Amino acid sequence: MNLTEMTPFIQAYESPIFRFVIVVVTIILAFFVSKLATFYFRRSFREKMSKDHLEIVLKVISYSIIIIAILFFVLPTLNVQESSILVAGSVFGLVIGFASQSIVGNLISGLFLMIERPIKVGNLVNIDGNSGTVEDISIISTIIRTYDGLYVRIPNEKVFTTTITNYVANVARRFEYVVGIRYEDDADQAIDIIENLISENPFALKNPTPSVFVDTLGDNAVNIIVRIWAPVTDWYSVKTEMLWIIKKTLEENGIEIAFPQRTVWFANELSKKEIQ
Amino acid sequence: MFGSYDIPFNIEHEGISLSVEKEDNLYTYKRKAFYGTEEKTLLFDTGKVLLNPIEPLNRPKEITSFLLVEFDKSIVIGPGTSKIIYIKFPIEIGVFISNNKNFEILDVLTLVNQKFTLYGDPASGVICKYWNSSVYSKIPETNPIMEGVMEVKIENTTTRWVEVSKAVFNAYDMRIYYSHSLVSMKAKMKILGDQMAETVFSNAPLKAGMTKSIELYNARKVSVLGPKFLMGEGL
Repeated sequence: MNLTEMTPFIQAYESPIFRFVIVVVTIILAFFVSKLATFYFRRSFREKMSKDHLEIVLKVISYSIIIIAILFFVLPTLNVQESSILVAGSVFGLVIGFASQSIVGNLISGLFLMIERPIKVGNLVNIDGNSGTVEDISIISTIIRTYDGLYVRIPNEKVFTTTITNYVANVARRFEYVVGIRYEDDADQAIDIIENLISENPFALKNPTPSVFVDTLGDNAVNIIVRIWAPVTDWYSVKTEMLWIIKKTLEENGIEIAFPQRTVWFANELSKKEIQ
Repeated sequence: MFGSYDIPFNIEHEGISLSVEKEDNLYTYKRKAFYGTEEKTLLFDTGKVLLNPIEPLNRPKEITSFLLVEFDKSIVIGPGTSKIIYIKFPIEIGVFISNNKNFEILDVLTLVNQKFTLYGDPASGVICKYWNSSVYSKIPETNPIMEGVMEVKIENTTTRWVEVSKAVFNAYDMRIYYSHSLVSMKAKMKILGDQMAETVFSNAPLKAGMTKSIELYNARKVSVLGPKFLMGEGL
């Protein structure tokens, strides 16, 4: 093919409409390839990586494909020079700075959240009073699924500036019961029973050592404190199971859980009247 | 008990009953044990059931890939010394269904008590399956469906005496071998400092003629940390 034959193609390529079509097709193609790549990687590595790490890798792959498509295909097609990108970037930055402060705030907060990583996808957290599981951390917002199944979207700026409680950031967590037994019951025996129950539960950790001790001599009961460490993954189930087992086993051994009661002593013996 | 069984089969051992029976052109796997029962319907043309000792990290629930063996008496090892000790480790029994090349885990059984522990602190430590063992100078007697014997070569590379009370191992590298009377593993523990050591398994049987078990962890997952475990939170 000689230059004369190529002229219609060159003219067509220089046509703004043709370039617009190429740009649109390139962007659609980039999104399609990005979706295809994330689908493939998600399917291949779903069982080999944690959900949190996998989501980060998928985001990096997805954004990289789109950025490469824009830098190497879209911008050259539009004849955009590097110097003009810098100028445009400066102007764009100023415009963004004035017009879209909250969006940029969220975006920067999102980047810091991804770097600092106080929360990860799948973590159980409390952010600004919203307790639940982190479903996604995107550039602009963080999605939480509450324990009752609600979808809560929190802007990243809010996430970054508020107090975050991450219930599963550490691998183990402690919980505590106060078991009040009657004064006439044997507290040593109760402690032995509770310690045996803890040692029988696989998820009540051997170390840090659980502690069971008489804490206070209360108004109505001898209060025994029970402190147990459990893996964060099973903390709640251990907590809910153990208390009822302790109560039942103590009662099976003749140790009653005390309830509030008062013994009244009269200075003078009351006169008794027989009821017919 | 370990080995390959033609289907249908029925086995009863130490209070555990396992069977694969044909009922109405469908095979049914049944397990009865003191901690519960399990039933699964199997769809296949030909196959066998394999009973293998597997990594002791699946029961009652798989929450970690680390096994911590605490010694009932601490070992004090001299500078530059290398010695071999034997310890016991818990085993779980993997029930696999196979047709020549492919296999799939059907069930995991265990006859030993389960306990978890934390190695290190709650922020940087790891949850481990816990096991307590005496330290032996020669291969101890064991019940092979409950316990195995691990040969550990302890090497103190430091210039000081070091006290060791526990060892942590990564399940991704466990190489379990079995025979009729013994389940075994071989491991090395290289002491790198007063509070630091590295553990790794060797791919070798303790005695000649032992059969290699299916590696459930390596078959299922890829370890991000690698097979070695660096004990950096104390010995």
